Amino acid sequence: MDQPNGQFRVDSTAWGILASQALGESADRFEPSRACLRGEQGDDGRVGVSREHPESYWATPLAILAWQSSPASQAAQSRAVKFLLKATGVHYPRKSGEPGAHDTLLKGWPWVADTHSWIEPTALAVIALKATGHGQHGRVREAIRMMLDRQLPHGGWNYGNTLTFGRELHPMPESTGAALTGLAGEVDRETVSRSLDYLQGEVDRLRTPISLGWALLGLAAWGGRPANGEALVERCLENQTRYGEYDTSALCLLFLGALAGESPAKHPLLAHLDSTPAILVK
Amino acid sequence: MADHSTSRAPRGLTRRDVLMAAGAGLVLGIGSLVVPKRYFRMPQQAQAFVIKVAHYQMEIADAIVRGIRELGIVSEELHGKRILLKPNLVETASGAPHINTHPLVLRGTIEAFLRLGAAAVMVAEGPGHRRDTLAVYEESGLADVLTEDRIAFHDINYMTGYELPNAGRQSSMRTLTFPALFKEVDWIVSVAKMKTHHWAGATLSMKNLFGVMPGIYYGWPKNVLHHAGIENSILDINATLKPHFAIVDGIVGMEGDGPIMGDPKKVGVLVMGRNLAAVDATCCRIMGIDPYKVSYLERADKWLGPIGEDAIEQRGETIASVRTNFSLIETIPAHQGIRLA
Repeated sequence: MDQPNGQFRVDSTAWGILASQALGESADRFEPSRACLRGEQGDDGRVGVSREHPESYWATPLAILAWQSSPASQAAQSRAVKFLLKATGVHYPRKSGEPGAHDTLLKGWPWVADTHSWIEPTALAVIALKATGHGQHGRVREAIRMMLDRQLPHGGWNYGNTLTFGRELHPMPESTGAALTGLAGEVDRETVSRSLDYLQGEVDRLRTPISLGWALLGLAAWGGRPANGEALVERCLENQTRYGEYDTSALCLLFLGALAGESPAKHPLLAHLDSTPAILVK
Repeated sequence: MADHSTSRAPRGLTRRDVLMAAGAGLVLGIGSLVVPKRYFRMPQQAQAFVIKVAHYQMEIADAIVRGIRELGIVSEELHGKRILLKPNLVETASGAPHINTHPLVLRGTIEAFLRLGAAAVMVAEGPGHRRDTLAVYEESGLADVLTEDRIAFHDINYMTGYELPNAGRQSSMRTLTFPALFKEVDWIVSVAKMKTHHWAGATLSMKNLFGVMPGIYYGWPKNVLHHAGIENSILDINATLKPHFAIVDGIVGMEGDGPIMGDPKKVGVLVMGRNLAAVDATCCRIMGIDPYKVSYLERADKWLGPIGEDAIEQRGETIASVRTNFSLIETIPAHQGIRLA
């Protein structure tokens, strides 16, 4: 799937397939795109953001989701799942007096190989693994604990740091939406109530596709949808006159957010909520 | 990227290049060889220009034009050139505009370069914390300014990259991936914010360049650079990219727990120059910080640029006339012992 400038990117292609699915397009329409993603897969199952950058394997969960229910992609999807279950970020015991506050040993997934685990790639991996029936795998259970550990004391998530030198850092709508989507069906509402409150308080002022897309997804995953959701999406689309054409990934994420409240069972990022029995985690 | 060397002193093969290349062989054969530090020294002279700008409503473009002229930049160097401005946009928080380069400093910089004959000026950024660059662009107030001025803004985080060999060789990164847009511009200008930093001591024009590394390859935060070593990465990026100019927004900076959670600090200056290390060293002295105690600057000295007061020609205001000590936090290791005597 091309960017506005005509360049190909793996993540855009995957997001494009997911948005097309959510929009109810016939699978035949995007099967060539799935084949294109298969062509980008590495021998070990990873899907890097480009062939030149296999270390940036954060696109792997997106490819897994894009290949869902595609018989021709089944083998590729299995290899990607296998890779994801093996891959992890860099984790190390926290030294005493270290300025951070989160549990550095809890494993999730990184954006890029040989770096620490962060919120959004972890949330995406959890969604993808749950969608493919691996919700009870130890890595998924640990990743859920990791995301909870990174929740900010006053609610919300950022990229994945909580406190530094004793100061609580700021939450971010896109990270909060992603984490809430990944955690839906796994923890009780009380555990994330402050984060839901934060996101509900923010959503009205969001004007950009990544923040608004993830916010709508995160709220929908917990049964919420702002009454003015449609107007917010329209305003965001109109803002392209201000910002220029949106990046394809961002635009598709916005569409996925817009469609999140309609029929979650058919939504590629929310279908996992029905496929995995909910386990309440305090 | 256009040939950066055309408007700068010839760089060619440096003494350091030769010494580093030879180093591996020497280490293998003569592990204990010690070369006196004086042999590494190269006479260097850079200029830094400091101008008082009491608040953001003043004529910032005039101040920058004056600075560029006083720094000896001639119109041929800018005429018809495409200038890319890299601000410091990290994240936004209510009541904390001092996190980011002020939009009116960007407006003034754009106007200054256009007045001096640049063919085009654009702004590009890849925030390290927010995956949603446009949100930072909007919430920082920069979108209002650039939309009104019809200036293009580019989100670096999602740009396809091109690789360059790591010219700094301080970290284990063999190559660095820069946004393809950089091949299309003639000048790269770091338009940074004057802030303390809880990992690096201070973040100024050199550290600001973390934001040129696309997030799709370096992550959010740019964790690849953290694992490679923050100081190593600052040096590698600057040595490889060779930015052309720096302007530091010290009209209101950030003291204490920077670069995000600190307090606003009014200094009322802009600092600029061709040599980023010299500009940053000057900023440090204005902030009451000893640049020799800021590790990446100490390592940059006599390589990427001079940081010694005697090797930097201070133009405009004297440091003493504008020095405003930034508060440091003694429990933060990077702040310990860096106060300028």
